[in-house]
Amino acid sequence: MASKAPTGSVGTGLKSPLTASAKEKETALQEAKSRQLEQEFKTKHLGILGVLLWVLLLHVAGIYFFTKGFLLTRMVLENKSSCDILPFDDVSGNAIASSGSKKGCWHDKTFDKAVVIIIDALRYDFTVPFATMDQDKAAHLFHDNIPVLYETAVNNPSNAFLLPFIADPPTTTLQRLKGLTTGTLPTFVDAGSNFAGTAIDEDNLVAQLHSAGKTLVQLGDDTWQSLFPGYFDANLTHPYDSFNVWDLHTVDNGVNEHLFPLLQPENKSKWDVIFGHYLGVDHAGHRYGPNHAAMAAKLQEMDLVIRKIIASLDDDTLLVVMGDHGMDTKGDHGGESDDEVEAALWMYSKRGVFGRTSKETLLPPKHARERFVPQIDLVPTLSLLLGMPIPFNNLGAPIEEAFAGSSGNDWSNLLAVNRLSAAQIKRYQHAYAMARGAGDDEESFALWTAAEEEWKSASKGFTSKSTAVRSSYDLYRKYQRHTLEICRGLWARFDVPSMLAGVGLLFFGISLLVVYARGMKIDRTELTSSLLSFVGAGTGLGAVTGTALVLFGFTEITTIDSSALLAAFGSMVGGLFALVKKPANLTLPLPNGMWGWLAVFFTVSQSLGYASNSYTIWEDEILLFFLTTFGVCAGISSMRQKSTTDRVLGVYHSILFVILGRVASFSRLCREEQMPFCRSTYYASSTSSISAPWQLAIPFLVALILPGVVRAFYAGSKSYEGAATLWIGFAFRLGLLITALFWVLEGADDGEWLPLRKETLKSIRVFLAQLVLALALGAGTGAFLYSKPCITISVNKPTEDPNAPPAPIIAGQQQQPRTTVTILGFGNVYGTRFFFLVVNFALAVILMQKPMGQGAIALLICQILSLLEILDTNALTLTNSPIGPIVLGLLGSFYFFKTGHQAVLSSIQWETAFIPMSTIKYPWSPLLVILNTFGAQILAAIAVPLTVLWKRPLQTQDRVSQQSSAKVANPATKLLSDVVQAASTHMLYLATINLATTMWAGHLRRHLMLYRIFSPRFMMGAVVLGVVDVVLMVFAVAGVRWSTLSVGEIFGW
Amino acid sequence: MASPASPSSVNTTGSTSQAPAEKPPTPPVNILPSQLAQTYSYAHPAILLGLGAWRFEALVADPMRELLADLPWLAALQISYVMLCLPPAGAASVEAGAAADEEKKKAPRSPSGPSVTLRPGKPGYRRKQTSGKSSWTCVWAKLMPAFLSLALTSLLATPVIAVLLVLFGAPLTTHNAETILCAAHMALLSATALVYVHGVDASVWKEVWGIARPADAVWGSALGTGLGAWFGAIPIPLDWDRPWQAFPITILTGAYIGYAVGSLVSRTPFIYGKRIQFAPEQTEEDEKKTN
Repeated sequence: MASKAPTGSVGTGLKSPLTASAKEKETALQEAKSRQLEQEFKTKHLGILGVLLWVLLLHVAGIYFFTKGFLLTRMVLENKSSCDILPFDDVSGNAIASSGSKKGCWHDKTFDKAVVIIIDALRYDFTVPFATMDQDKAAHLFHDNIPVLYETAVNNPSNAFLLPFIADPPTTTLQRLKGLTTGTLPTFVDAGSNFAGTAIDEDNLVAQLHSAGKTLVQLGDDTWQSLFPGYFDANLTHPYDSFNVWDLHTVDNGVNEHLFPLLQPENKSKWDVIFGHYLGVDHAGHRYGPNHAAMAAKLQEMDLVIRKIIASLDDDTLLVVMGDHGMDTKGDHGGESDDEVEAALWMYSKRGVFGRTSKETLLPPKHARERFVPQIDLVPTLSLLLGMPIPFNNLGAPIEEAFAGSSGNDWSNLLAVNRLSAAQIKRYQHAYAMARGAGDDEESFALWTAAEEEWKSASKGFTSKSTAVRSSYDLYRKYQRHTLEICRGLWARFDVPSMLAGVGLLFFGISLLVVYARGMKIDRTELTSSLLSFVGAGTGLGAVTGTALVLFGFTEITTIDSSALLAAFGSMVGGLFALVKKPANLTLPLPNGMWGWLAVFFTVSQSLGYASNSYTIWEDEILLFFLTTFGVCAGISSMRQKSTTDRVLGVYHSILFVILGRVASFSRLCREEQMPFCRSTYYASSTSSISAPWQLAIPFLVALILPGVVRAFYAGSKSYEGAATLWIGFAFRLGLLITALFWVLEGADDGEWLPLRKETLKSIRVFLAQLVLALALGAGTGAFLYSKPCITISVNKPTEDPNAPPAPIIAGQQQQPRTTVTILGFGNVYGTRFFFLVVNFALAVILMQKPMGQGAIALLICQILSLLEILDTNALTLTNSPIGPIVLGLLGSFYFFKTGHQAVLSSIQWETAFIPMSTIKYPWSPLLVILNTFGAQILAAIAVPLTVLWKRPLQTQDRVSQQSSAKVANPATKLLSDVVQAASTHMLYLATINLATTMWAGHLRRHLMLYRIFSPRFMMGAVVLGVVDVVLMVFAVAGVRWSTLSVGEIFGW
Repeated sequence: MASPASPSSVNTTGSTSQAPAEKPPTPPVNILPSQLAQTYSYAHPAILLGLGAWRFEALVADPMRELLADLPWLAALQISYVMLCLPPAGAASVEAGAAADEEKKKAPRSPSGPSVTLRPGKPGYRRKQTSGKSSWTCVWAKLMPAFLSLALTSLLATPVIAVLLVLFGAPLTTHNAETILCAAHMALLSATALVYVHGVDASVWKEVWGIARPADAVWGSALGTGLGAWFGAIPIPLDWDRPWQAFPITILTGAYIGYAVGSLVSRTPFIYGKRIQFAPEQTEEDEKKTN
């Protein structure tokens, strides 16, 4: 390797014995030239940022069009059920159907009032006695702590029943509340709106109650307020912030405080229906996981609450207690694993009105998969029990136990309610089919007709036990369940053309990126202006064409979509033309040598692997396998190096690289599908989401070791000079120490080690975290913008020292006392200067990780540094080998998994938004969660320019030759071209992964595992691509400007 | 860029000019010329594969016991193979030196070494077996390197391969016996012949670590073992729920197949004597010129 010398000596003696005026002239000329070169660098730098912005927009457009078609959408019908209009076509309904009667709307009401209690994340197995199964030998802490539901259901079957209550994924609270009040199936497109709830405009139970003039009260979780604005009685309603998952008690205490006074006899006339939403159980799950003493305590508290409510209940009031979803083994939810969808439903009344139709169903089921009811069944059940019309869009069926009568044989009642709900479903289906412009489903029509026939013959008999009633009832139920299945299938309706457009955009984008990143022979910065102008022209032309197509009625899609789509394609055509118009500039973008093939192999084989659910599930292990493969290849290649230094250093860093990766692989968070072959180590146990006490030592170890490691890498090129000593030796270490302190306080809070109030601890923690963020991103950015390169210049003025190093002798001069300048850190001046940016972000990312993740990120930093040394010793920095940026991509993905994440929604560590803040604040909270989730990818992306900057020899314009030839290439633009090539290669890796996951998710859209595996992986790929594109543009490549400027300031251009 | 002299260039320019300190590169190794050696050298990979196929079911049923029970048999097979078919370490260098002398007279760039040469167009010329000694000495001369290679294989190669397996993701806290047994099998497949033929010749081992040996039966089978094991890891994560997906089975199967394929393929005229090019040094320089 050239210019490995850690110290450089530059003779700055006078070049020629010129006269004073000539000297001045020359200096002025050089300064002007230098200013010109600096200006050129700045302009070209802006240009490549423009190119990167274009690529980002292309990716966004592709992802948008695919997502629009892929994430399921459902038409929202505005129709409302009304009391006056029965759902039957004929008016031959029963007498009870007479409208306006006091007994209820469509059916006799059973209760006047209701108290609906939602215990968020109340999983079914919390509520039933612990039943030994093969795997679980001992009861967990969450078992047998809320026995009231089971006891009442067993002891007084006619007063209460308890059933498994299966949620439709996504199991987020907002989605569940929609399902629990409208009775419809959620579609995936709603999943993203959890952070900002939107009002429900479909017909729903709350709206029906409100329009019937009932007084509604809502207590607890404020998600209800965003879903049903204005429906609740303003004086009695008390919503509480729902996202502070670190707070287990505020919401629950608030609900209790306002609920029990309302239940007193003197206040009973003030309200009709109370919706109480407790969040403590859910928050205990998020914070500690289910198997924790806090969860047991919370469940016991809920047990007492329910007993207290029962005590103050009157005969006309129905009490409903339910979970809106369950929680997985770590206490999180959002996906569709069994543990997440299995909630509990319990109904209670002092009047014995509930029944069981057979002896087998007398006891509550032992496990959640027996005799479960879908959550949407609550809607018709509650509606009819309270004498309300069934909401128009409902797909649920009345729950048998609620209408079977206390002796369990009121078949005529069961038939009546099921006929009502079936008829409403039929009416809804018909309206939906009309709105879609399609016919009714034939099979369900046949079922409906058969049921009606049976009903007619049964209604002649009028005996409640007649077989005709039962068979008619069975047919109606069958019809309802059949329709539900049809709708589940129907709303998995994909907009394939839009998906194809998205895939097309992404594919075309990748092809362009391949040409731009790998197939150009010339300096990329020279292309920028023509590229951007063609892209601009293409965009404009495309947008106009798109708008015109819509205006003249050639296409059905909206104007914005049409013009965006054509603008994107137009810009790509323009870009392609700009890239290929001079074929002489092109080379075949084929891999070059072993490293190139290895890079292609990693990318392509990983992309192909996403077609298989197994390889998607085991992605973390596969990434380790690839990284080790790279390390071994690096070791082999290092063995071939000629220079002994290169060989020894290369082999050393290869071994280090492999071992560090393997050490990091011990930090694991298993996804459900990896069981039983995986053991989570990220948290204290597999059923917890807090760190073990010993893990609190990790941040201290990181603070102790990591700055030293970085220092060692700096010292290798004698670059631990200048700002580096302050920034790495002091500020970085200080930040890491504060972070460690933060997590100790956090552990003290969890374990209650300190005699301090929770609020005090919390505010100290928030202060510390903000301090670290200010240090990393505030002071760090300032330091990055203004600091000098990591060099020390010592000037020796020898008085004719005979041992002085022989200076270059230019004929005709010499013999003057020469000043020798020794520059420490000369060999890695670009790399060490730029690495500050990595240090800054590393500090911020480490703060946002749990202790185990901090260790992982520290290992990532070490691996990145080892990788840079490997690249340098194997002569891969200056040859623009793709392997560096690609391995950084692998590292980013690998450490995503090693920081306690998986490609599933439930592994998002939402609670980390509260590390530096005590409440939700936009846009900071989502940004903090992104910093936690994609911290590894962000760090890897920021390190991308280093693959060409690390130990890059300093090249400046040759001062002597510049005057002779007017057009000498600016070395700084070569640097820019290399940086943008590395950045676009990194993008290429992630874009390929994104395209692959997109295509596979689209192709396997009917796969059983779509929502469990392929869809989350697609979403992750898309978000990662977007985040990394932005980080590359806004931080990594943009940062090159300041690091290069500061180097240029010292060494000239 | 500093001196981009490639290791491959050593192959062509030889030892004359470049690095006087370095020894001449050790040429590819040939199978001994005797009829028996020639025949058995082809039969051996086939026998190993056949035995592997035969014992596969037992291996799936109880990997640990089967691997342990097979170990002595594999060792015996490998030892008999190297003794029958390959020149032992000391002899090889002597012969190589002698051959190189002859070669200098004959043709400067023909493949050196004790060659019966499978390359077309070259006369199968070669001195007769180092005659004049009693057959006992001859066997003794082979037995010593054979046992040396066995010792080095079990003491050095097995731990090294076991560590590599763990680094590639084999479990560290469990399945230790499986890992070690797998490593022992792989070591016997790959290292026995290498040590037997090359001894502890530092320059050869430097080439081995750099994957820079010229292709021959010994090197081909060693490389094939490694590559085969690498590819053998691919089916493990699949959710087929087959018993043979358990940890060491696919890797070892891959290693055995890789051994056989590598051993045979590397002897074909097209591959023989070639070295793996890592970085495209030539093209790189070309590019620079065109730029």
